[in-house]
Amino acid sequence: MSLPAPSPTTARPRRASLRGLAQGWLWGCAWVSLCVGVGAFTPAAPALAQGAAVDTKPLRIWTRSSKDGRKTYDAIAAAFTAQTGVRVVYFNATTDFEQRLARAAVGRDLPDIIINDGGSLGQFVSMGIVAPIQRAEIAGSADLHERAWRTATLPDGRVFAVPTSAQAHVLFVRKDWREKLGLPAPRTWDDVAALARAFTERDPDGNGRADTYGLVLPGSTARGYTAWYLSSFLFQAGGDFVRLGADGHGRAALNEPAAEQTLAFFKRLLCVDKSVQPGAINASTQEANRAFISGQAGIYLSGPYHIALFDREPGAAKVEVLPAPAGPGGGRATLAGGELAFISKTTQRRADAQRFIEFLISPQGQTLGARPPKGGLPVVRLPVNRQLAAGSLHADPRWALVSDEYLQHGKALPLLPNASRVQQVVADGFNATLARCNSNISQDLQALNRKVDAELAKQRVLAP
Amino acid sequence: MKADAAAPAAARPSPGPSSGLRGTLAQRLSPWWFLAPALLIFLYFKFIPMARGVQMSFYKVSFGDADEWVGLDNFVRVFTDEALRGAAGRTLLYVLVTVSVSAFIALLLAQALQGQARHLRILRTAIFLPAVTSAAVVAEIWRILYAPTSAGVVNTALGWVGLAPQGFFSDPDQALAALMGMHVWKHVPYDTVIFVAGLAGVNRELYDAAAVDGANAWHRFVHVTLPGLAPAITVVLTLGCIRGFRVFTEVYATTGGGPAGSTEVVMTHIYKQGFQELDFGYAAAASTVLFVFTALATAAFLAWRRRSAR
Repeated sequence: MSLPAPSPTTARPRRASLRGLAQGWLWGCAWVSLCVGVGAFTPAAPALAQGAAVDTKPLRIWTRSSKDGRKTYDAIAAAFTAQTGVRVVYFNATTDFEQRLARAAVGRDLPDIIINDGGSLGQFVSMGIVAPIQRAEIAGSADLHERAWRTATLPDGRVFAVPTSAQAHVLFVRKDWREKLGLPAPRTWDDVAALARAFTERDPDGNGRADTYGLVLPGSTARGYTAWYLSSFLFQAGGDFVRLGADGHGRAALNEPAAEQTLAFFKRLLCVDKSVQPGAINASTQEANRAFISGQAGIYLSGPYHIALFDREPGAAKVEVLPAPAGPGGGRATLAGGELAFISKTTQRRADAQRFIEFLISPQGQTLGARPPKGGLPVVRLPVNRQLAAGSLHADPRWALVSDEYLQHGKALPLLPNASRVQQVVADGFNATLARCNSNISQDLQALNRKVDAELAKQRVLAP
Repeated sequence: MKADAAAPAAARPSPGPSSGLRGTLAQRLSPWWFLAPALLIFLYFKFIPMARGVQMSFYKVSFGDADEWVGLDNFVRVFTDEALRGAAGRTLLYVLVTVSVSAFIALLLAQALQGQARHLRILRTAIFLPAVTSAAVVAEIWRILYAPTSAGVVNTALGWVGLAPQGFFSDPDQALAALMGMHVWKHVPYDTVIFVAGLAGVNRELYDAAAVDGANAWHRFVHVTLPGLAPAITVVLTLGCIRGFRVFTEVYATTGGGPAGSTEVVMTHIYKQGFQELDFGYAAAASTVLFVFTALATAAFLAWRRRSAR
C-alpha cells in the first residue's frame, strides 16, 4: 500500500519486466474471473442434479419469511411430499422480496407459488405475474373465513390468491420495566404516551444511564412502513387513508381530523417528549425490532409473529402482550392483515401448485404452520380455516388475545387496485411531516390528500 | 501497454517470410488470447446487461406479458420528473462539496505524508484503510458514530465544546451534510495516495531552482507543486465526480433517501423507481441518461485538461 519511489532503471529491462507483469496480471485476472464465474454457477448444480434424478422437477415456492419461518414451511413441505409425492423447493427472503421477484419475472424465471403478505395483492396483479383463482375450484375453500377471502379479492371482485394466515397487531410492552415503575398497563393513547415518557425519563432498566426510550417507531418509508405502522393509530382515531364507496371508487381521507390527531400524537412523542427510539424516522422493521430486543425501547405495536421472537429476547417473562390502545375518542381498532398464496401466471404445474395450497389451508396444514418445529416461527398466525379456533391451535393464551383483537377490532387496509402504491405515497408524506418538528401538520396533510387523490385517479378509482 | 510490448518483438528479423507473417499474426493475437476469458466474462456480466438496459429504456417493461414499445416516453418523463430534478440537484451539490473537500484535505495530507521514511509508510498504510473498507460497513460505523442521542460518539465530542446533541441522519436539515462528511472520510485516503504518487513525480530540481530565485513556501507550492500535480489532480477530480454521481450504497445503507427525502440522490431515486415501483423502463431510461451525462462530462473535462496542459 505504501508507494514505491520511481526507480531509475533503464528502458529495456523495465519494459520487459512490465510485459511480464502485465501478462502475469492478465492470467491472474483470467483465472480469478473464471473461478468466480464457475463459483457463481455451482449453487445451481445440485438442484439440477436432483431434478435429473427423478422425473418431475420439484414445485418451486417463494416465501417472504425469515430462516426461522422457513423451518416451519419445511415441515409443511415434508408432510405434503409424504402425502402427494410432489417435492417442494423453497426460496425465502425477508429483505427485497418483491425486488427479487421482479428480477425473476424479467428473467422469465418465476416460481410456481408465491407466499407474501396481503399488501402485495394489487402490486402482483398489476405486474401481471399472478393468475386468477376460481374459489369453487379450490378444495376446502368454503371452510375459509369470508373475512380472509376478502383480503385476496380486488375491488372488482376478481380473486387472485388464497389466504393462508391472518393476523392483527398487538401491543408489546416491557412488563418488568412497567412493574418496576409501578405503572398500569396502557389502555389508551394517553396511557401509552405517559408510559413512554416514564420509560424515557425514569431509567426503568436501572443502569443509571438515560439510554432507554418509550415507543418503538419504524419510520422508514421503505415498502411504505411509515403508513403501514401508523395505520392502526389512524384507525383508532376513526380515520382511514381512503374512503371507498360500494362501487370501489373513493377519495383520500387524510384531510379528516383523525389523520391530524394521529400525526400530532407522534410529533408530540418525537419532538416534545422525545420518548421514541433514536433514529426512528429512518428505522426499518429490522432496526425497530432491534430497538425492542436490545432493551432500548419498551413499547411496540407490532404483529403477533413477534411473540416467539420476543420470547427469546428480551424474554417471555419480561414482555406482555396487550390489546392495541384505544384512540382519543375511545375508538378501538388495529391493523389486520394476513398472508396470501399466489399461483404464478407462468407456472407449468398449476395442478400441483393448487394441491399444495389446498394442503396449506387444510386443518392439517394450518396446524403444522401454527405449531412450528424447534427453532421455527409460526407461519400461520391465526388460522384462516373455520374448523380451527386460534385459541386451541396455539397452546399459548396470548394467541387467544390476538384472535379476539382480529375478530373484534381488526381493520384491513383499504382495498384498491394497487394499495401498496397508495401506501408508499402516504408513507413519504407522513415521514416528511414527522421528520421536521416545525412542520405544519394540517397544511402537509392537505397537500398529501391531493397526492393520494392523484394516485387514486391514476388507478381509475377516484370518485367524482 | 500490450501493443507497446509486442512491437519490438515484431520488429525482430524473422527466419523466413511465411513463418514471419504467421509469427507476427500469432503475436498480434496473443494479447487477445490472454484477454479472452476476462472479456468473455465482462461481455456476459457487463456489456450485454448494459445493452439490455439501454434497450429496456424504450419499453414499458411488463412482467407477465411482452414488453410494450413506448419510444421516447420514458426519456420525456426523465426530463420532466420533479423528484428526479430534486435528486439531481442534491447529487450535484453532493459531488461539488465532497470532491472539492476531499481533494483539498488529501492535498494537505499528501504534503505531510510524502517521503520514504519507514514511519511514513506505516502511516500511509494506516490512513488508507477507510478506502478499502466496504461502503456498507462504513455506513454502519457512521450510523453508530452519528447516533442522534447525547450518548452518541460525535454528539459526546460536540458536548465537550458545549454544543447540544444534533440529529445528523435523523434531521432533514443535516442528513445530507452528515452523509457528505462520511463520504469525505472514506475517500480522502484514496485521493491522498494518488497525490503522494503525483508528488513523487515532481522534479526536485525545480524546488531548488525556485529556492535560489527566492521563492517562499507558498510560491513554491503554487508555482512548482501544483503544476507538477496537474495530472494527479485531474485523476482525483475525474474519479471523484464519477464516484459522486453514482453514489448509492452510502445513502441507501444509512438514510435510504430520508428523512423527508432530504438525502434522495439520483441513484436512490432510480433504484426506488426500478425496484420498489417496479417501473423498469423508466429506471433504465434514467440510468441511461446518467450514464451518458457522466461519460460526456468526463470526456469534456479530460479534453479541457488536455487543452490547458498544452
